[in-house]
Amino acid sequence: MDDLLAEFVAETREMLEAIAGEIVAWEADPADRARLDGIFRFVHTVKGNCGFFDFPRLEKLSHAAESVLAEVRAGRRVPDVGLVNAVLAIIDRISQMADAIDAGQDLPGTGDDDLIAALEPDATEAEGDGVGAAASGATMQDDTNEKTIGAHQTVTPRSIRLPVELLDRVMSGISDMVLARNDLARRLRDAGAQPTIDGPFERLTGILTDVREAVTRMRMQRIEHLYNALPRLVRDLSADLGKQVMIDLEGGDVELDREMIEMIRDPVTHIIRNAIDHGIETPATRLAAGKREIGLLSFAARQSGNKITITITDDGRGLDLAKLASKAVAAHIVSQREADEMSRNQLQQLIFEPGLSTADTVSNVSGRGVGMDVVRANLEKIGGTIQVRSKAGEGTLFILEIPLTLSIVAGLTVGAEGQRFAIPRSYVEEIVHGAAASLEYSTVGDSELVTFRGKRIACLSLANVLGMTRGQSVRGKTLVLVRLGSGDLFAVAVDRIYDHEDLVVKPLAPAVMATGVYAGTTLLDDGSPILMLDMPTIAQQNGLVSEVRLRPASVEPEDVEVSEKTRPVMLFVGIDGRRRAMDMDIVRRIDIAPVAAIDIEGARAQIVIDGEILPLVGAYGGAMPADKLKLLRLSDGTCELAYAVREVSDAAVIDSAIVPAGADDDLIEGVTLIGGEPVGIIDGMKLFARHGSPPQSSVPLVCRLPAADGWARTMLEPLVKAAGYRLAASDDEAADVTILMENDDAETSDHDGQIICLHADAEAPVSTADRIYRYDRDALLGALRTARGGRP
Amino acid sequence: MMDELLVMTVIAGRRAAFRAVEVQAVIEIEIIHPVPRAPDFIAGLTALRSQSLTVIDCRRSLGLAGDSAADSRAAVVEVGGHPYALLVDTVEDVVEARSAPHPVPGGLGAAWERVGIGMIETDAEPALLVDIAKMVAGPDQAIRGLAA
Repeated sequence: MDDLLAEFVAETREMLEAIAGEIVAWEADPADRARLDGIFRFVHTVKGNCGFFDFPRLEKLSHAAESVLAEVRAGRRVPDVGLVNAVLAIIDRISQMADAIDAGQDLPGTGDDDLIAALEPDATEAEGDGVGAAASGATMQDDTNEKTIGAHQTVTPRSIRLPVELLDRVMSGISDMVLARNDLARRLRDAGAQPTIDGPFERLTGILTDVREAVTRMRMQRIEHLYNALPRLVRDLSADLGKQVMIDLEGGDVELDREMIEMIRDPVTHIIRNAIDHGIETPATRLAAGKREIGLLSFAARQSGNKITITITDDGRGLDLAKLASKAVAAHIVSQREADEMSRNQLQQLIFEPGLSTADTVSNVSGRGVGMDVVRANLEKIGGTIQVRSKAGEGTLFILEIPLTLSIVAGLTVGAEGQRFAIPRSYVEEIVHGAAASLEYSTVGDSELVTFRGKRIACLSLANVLGMTRGQSVRGKTLVLVRLGSGDLFAVAVDRIYDHEDLVVKPLAPAVMATGVYAGTTLLDDGSPILMLDMPTIAQQNGLVSEVRLRPASVEPEDVEVSEKTRPVMLFVGIDGRRRAMDMDIVRRIDIAPVAAIDIEGARAQIVIDGEILPLVGAYGGAMPADKLKLLRLSDGTCELAYAVREVSDAAVIDSAIVPAGADDDLIEGVTLIGGEPVGIIDGMKLFARHGSPPQSSVPLVCRLPAADGWARTMLEPLVKAAGYRLAASDDEAADVTILMENDDAETSDHDGQIICLHADAEAPVSTADRIYRYDRDALLGALRTARGGRP
Repeated sequence: MMDELLVMTVIAGRRAAFRAVEVQAVIEIEIIHPVPRAPDFIAGLTALRSQSLTVIDCRRSLGLAGDSAADSRAAVVEVGGHPYALLVDTVEDVVEARSAPHPVPGGLGAAWERVGIGMIETDAEPALLVDIAKMVAGPDQAIRGLAA
């Protein structure tokens, strides 16, 4: 939180510095629209940031100034001297407050209300008889004094700033060194073993790897750093607005320039605010429109060549184009005739115009029509672009494209007609060998489709796309399933897959770039140059990009019927040596982990993968492999599980009847015949109900302990916390579980959630369902576990 | 412009000169990796040390038929920050210019007009001084459009 606060202060100061000149210029010429917009953005941003922190005074001030400036922007107020003075006084006060927050002091002075009152039109009228002027003049006097005091306390930061160009130069130098090293390595290999050279060369390689890593880290950060703040923001906003919103974050491991992350933080925040405030409807409206009552806000980040694409999708009501057009006409941005002639797409782009909003009411969250013009301005400053696509009633999709000056891309090298190409790995969903029995090809018109796991997807032949062949069939080739940032899925047929490699991508000559199918070029370790494919453009050129990403469609209940007909499963052999099937939908991927990462304690097994602790299922009934263990990573969307297997066999489809299983293993839903052999089908539902645990970041259940009880504090509290509960912060907070002492006289009526009653009767240390002996640890933990059973 | 150094080459059977200051190196091209869907004057990519060069077939850039690959030598130049290899019939020698470039009486003909700066005298026979940026840019949009 301290980091965020420091950032907030730094940002506010930076903006103040930037608009200092504007303020003076605006004072000289209050009619100057550009200056006005600049100042307006400042107060708006401050107001927005206050939403994160608890600064009601700051928020109130900036909100007041913003309201007045909005009036001015809309032409309803004339910026006279009184108004200008009052706004300036507020900006000075904001600056003072920022200083005080930074120094950790109490916010200076009072009299915010006077400042706000001075903004009122009647205050400016009263200026004629001197009262208003004296009031605002006096406040400003105070401000100047306090400001000088504040300035002394400004602390010098302990980091140094470097020009980005310098870092760029170092970075590209290192990249060239890596390529030169690869070249040298190849020549050394060709020349045969030379002990005197090989040793030092190995050392050089090691050093170079270290340096490259360090330099990369200098500039790069996982986009997770941006993602981390989002669930909280979404939660708070949706709670404020009485909406239910689920957030889905994808591609958190995409790395991007540290500075870029900072630059897109605000735009992304604005888009989220708008999406929740205007896009996503209230639960009642959603139900009435036949949607799930919980709105979905999804984020996906992808890297391709020297661009990062971030898509932000909501499944709300979409943009109201008619309203947008009439507002634009009213605000004199376009004429009625122009508006009538505009295409759908052009109308959508109107939301990026300054001073335009489709919101009818101005809320505390958003809705003054800033936001989107600020968003675009900020993105364009860093060479990025933003696009919007929307469908009325179905949702809105924002596509942010941000450049990377230089990047190391994880790529998949594939072959077509004897030539190699690279595909950014972030797009690759899966690789399927064309001969696999689960594939079904069909040709409709000139388009080839492949049915994979019950979905029909378009399939392109890479050689055809690149014009190397004409009408080459995709049948029997290796398929690379590509998922774009927009969520569109298609398959690319290639002759073979070569390797996964880290590629240093360099820009292409303009004439090559003009073909549109390549994103860059890179040298392989053997020194041969290859081209990196631009998957989004290829998809677009082949008509495979939909207007709006509609992810929820795949989880809607309507799909049940279809998926029941062809229920795709993954076949495997369990640790106990028996053949089993797992629903494909819950299998995220197959992992291999060292056996040493497993921790079995009593009936509970866990495994550590990538720094995360996951419940481990299926690790019984047979001998564990010696060192490495194959795992199915399962997910139901919120929880993750690892399922230990001996061998993964194949993907298959259940087409014969399922015979319900006996009682001996209740994780088995039933037995069916696949390929003539009986296979037990794992009941995914029960699996998650029993073993699923919420990811560490989710909101924990709240537990209330007996108040003012020493024993509860020392003995109970650690136990309850270890069981994954959070203690109720105050008496008013709603609790999911309440623990009571039997002799507690407290009123039982105000206890909420489930109640666990403890007794201290050492004579009869027996626990029953509703009375637990206070030192019966197992029973207590059991009760806490049961209490959370309702939640995954 | 006297005493300027020129790299003498033969393109499509004609003597053509590049300014030596613009030529970083003359290399022997081993393998050219084709670029599917690129205009035909782009022969492909080749590697020079740790760089990837775009190989321009000068004969095709002029809009002439046939291949330049009689001799696999190419001049390495940089235009707009991108490295290119200019594939010519042969690279002959580096010579001193004996005159400033001047117009050719009667013009250069359609193919050469676009890339030619002017005629330049050397100790041996005169040559056409070539603008590398125009050579790299390839035939005009119109010509490219017809070819496509």
